[in-house]
Amino acid sequence: MAVLAWRGPQDNTVSIIQTTHLYHRFADDTQGLCDVSLAFNEGEFTVIAGANGSGKTTLLRHLNGLLLPESGAVTVCGKSVEEDPMAARQQVGMVFQDADSQIVGETVYDDAAFGPENLALGRLQINRRVTRALEAVDLCGFENKRPHHLSGGEKRRLAIAGVLAMAPRVLLMDEPFSNLDYPATCLVLDQILNLHSNGHTIIITTHDLEKVVAHAQRLVVMADGRVVEDGLPTEVIDGVARYGIRPPCSVQLGKGIRPWMS
Amino acid sequence: MDELSTIGFAPGQSPLHQLDPRTKQALLMGLSAISPWGRLTFLVSLSVVILLSFRAAGIRLSRLIGDIRYFLLFLLFVFVVRTVTFSGGWIPNISVELAGEALMVCWRLLMVVSMGALLMATTRAADIRAALVWYLKPIPVVDEKMAATMVGLVVRFLPVILFQAAEISDAQRARGIERRKNPLSRLMIFSLPLFRRVFLSADELVAAMQARCYSEHRTLPDLSFSRHDGLAIGAGILISLTVLFP
Ligand SMILES: Nc1ncnc2c1ncn2[C@@H]1O[C@H](COP(=O)(O)OP(=O)(O)OP(=O)(O)O)[C@@H](O)[C@H]1O
Ligand SMILES: [Mg+2]
Repeated sequence: MAVLAWRGPQDNTVSIIQTTHLYHRFADDTQGLCDVSLAFNEGEFTVIAGANGSGKTTLLRHLNGLLLPESGAVTVCGKSVEEDPMAARQQVGMVFQDADSQIVGETVYDDAAFGPENLALGRLQINRRVTRALEAVDLCGFENKRPHHLSGGEKRRLAIAGVLAMAPRVLLMDEPFSNLDYPATCLVLDQILNLHSNGHTIIITTHDLEKVVAHAQRLVVMADGRVVEDGLPTEVIDGVARYGIRPPCSVQLGKGIRPWMS
Repeated sequence: MDELSTIGFAPGQSPLHQLDPRTKQALLMGLSAISPWGRLTFLVSLSVVILLSFRAAGIRLSRLIGDIRYFLLFLLFVFVVRTVTFSGGWIPNISVELAGEALMVCWRLLMVVSMGALLMATTRAADIRAALVWYLKPIPVVDEKMAATMVGLVVRFLPVILFQAAEISDAQRARGIERRKNPLSRLMIFSLPLFRRVFLSADELVAAMQARCYSEHRTLPDLSFSRHDGLAIGAGILISLTVLFP
């Protein structure tokens, strides 16, 4: 098993999110997470991979206080999430697996403005943030459209904009490529890479490594609620098949990790 | 499903777009309340103003007619019921006097609905809601911000729920639900998955709102009265005064 408390390229960087011996049990006694200790560094791009039901979504929901641990602790910027979930949620934005249930506004503008409105910002600042967020995901000119008239890819991008408008430092994305066709996937992937190069910390979960792993700096593999592998993608990737994850084609062909998008 | 959103907001810069939503709601309520007493002068002047407003807001009348076609059928029904009488026997009796009166009634209803359509076409939904909050504020028991959030969510999710219902019904027809004859069991089979999905997505929705720091102390849309609003209220009062004339 790889080292659990992975420290990043420079040993002294501060971690922006840290979990220590995190356990989670659901009401029906399912053990969702089991002894998860991870530290994420500022600016890092991490992919969390795992088969269906391995606990990826459960883990993400702990990182911004939507779920609270049975035992163990989560800290964001050094502060306990359990004590101040609001502060954690401002720093850690989350894009949900199902964009449809995440969009709460009656129009695209309303939805992008929902977060900043909750932060009780002034209207001018809200408008500025909404414009910037919609520009970042290429949805300018859609302000007055109704969310249920958007395509699947546009909805996913709106969900990302809604999170960006809160100006978080960390972006959690739960299966950001599910249900997207090729061009939509490219657009979303492109936007994620842009956000990363702007200094955002990115954590993506997926069961399909093909599309993102070439861009990631770290690969965490989960199985049955535990972290079973953690390290550089090139080192970890060869063993993932054992945990029900399909390695990228290029790896299967013995060519190593290649970018999926040309 | 789209019928729900046809009289939707159309962005623009017309005078009506620039009015404060509270002014527009007050005019709508005031003029509707006074319309039962309005006669020909009132109705003609109101119609002219409404037509001009539609023109200025850049909304084609054909679109309005398309949007309210079911309502127009209803008006026709009202007109017929009010005009045709059966005085002893099976022969219908059409009286010109009643027809005039019925026309007046239908005209008033049409005016009220057109004003509503005008309000919805020129005001963003969030602003309509903010104005509603402003009017609800003096009422003690109502939590106006909560009410506003609820109204917004219903508008957002009604189409989704209807879509899910249609999908479930299609999926069940694809597996031959029509061969079951008992309507009660069919209803059960249909509504259980629907409720489950609605509640599941409600759970997700709560999580999504929490993840974006939902709180009661939110920024509401800015509302501010300007000179235009004074002018519009003045015009509204003038039109109202025409009820004094036949
Ligand atoms: N609310 C819940 N109550 C009970 N068990 C749950 C609940 N949510 C998830 N689980 C269980 O916890 C385990 C982990 O679920 P989780 O949603 O985190 O998996 P996942 O890795 O995100 O899977 P997927 O790839 O399908 O999204 C699963 O076995 C699931 O059945
Ligand atoms: Mg999941």
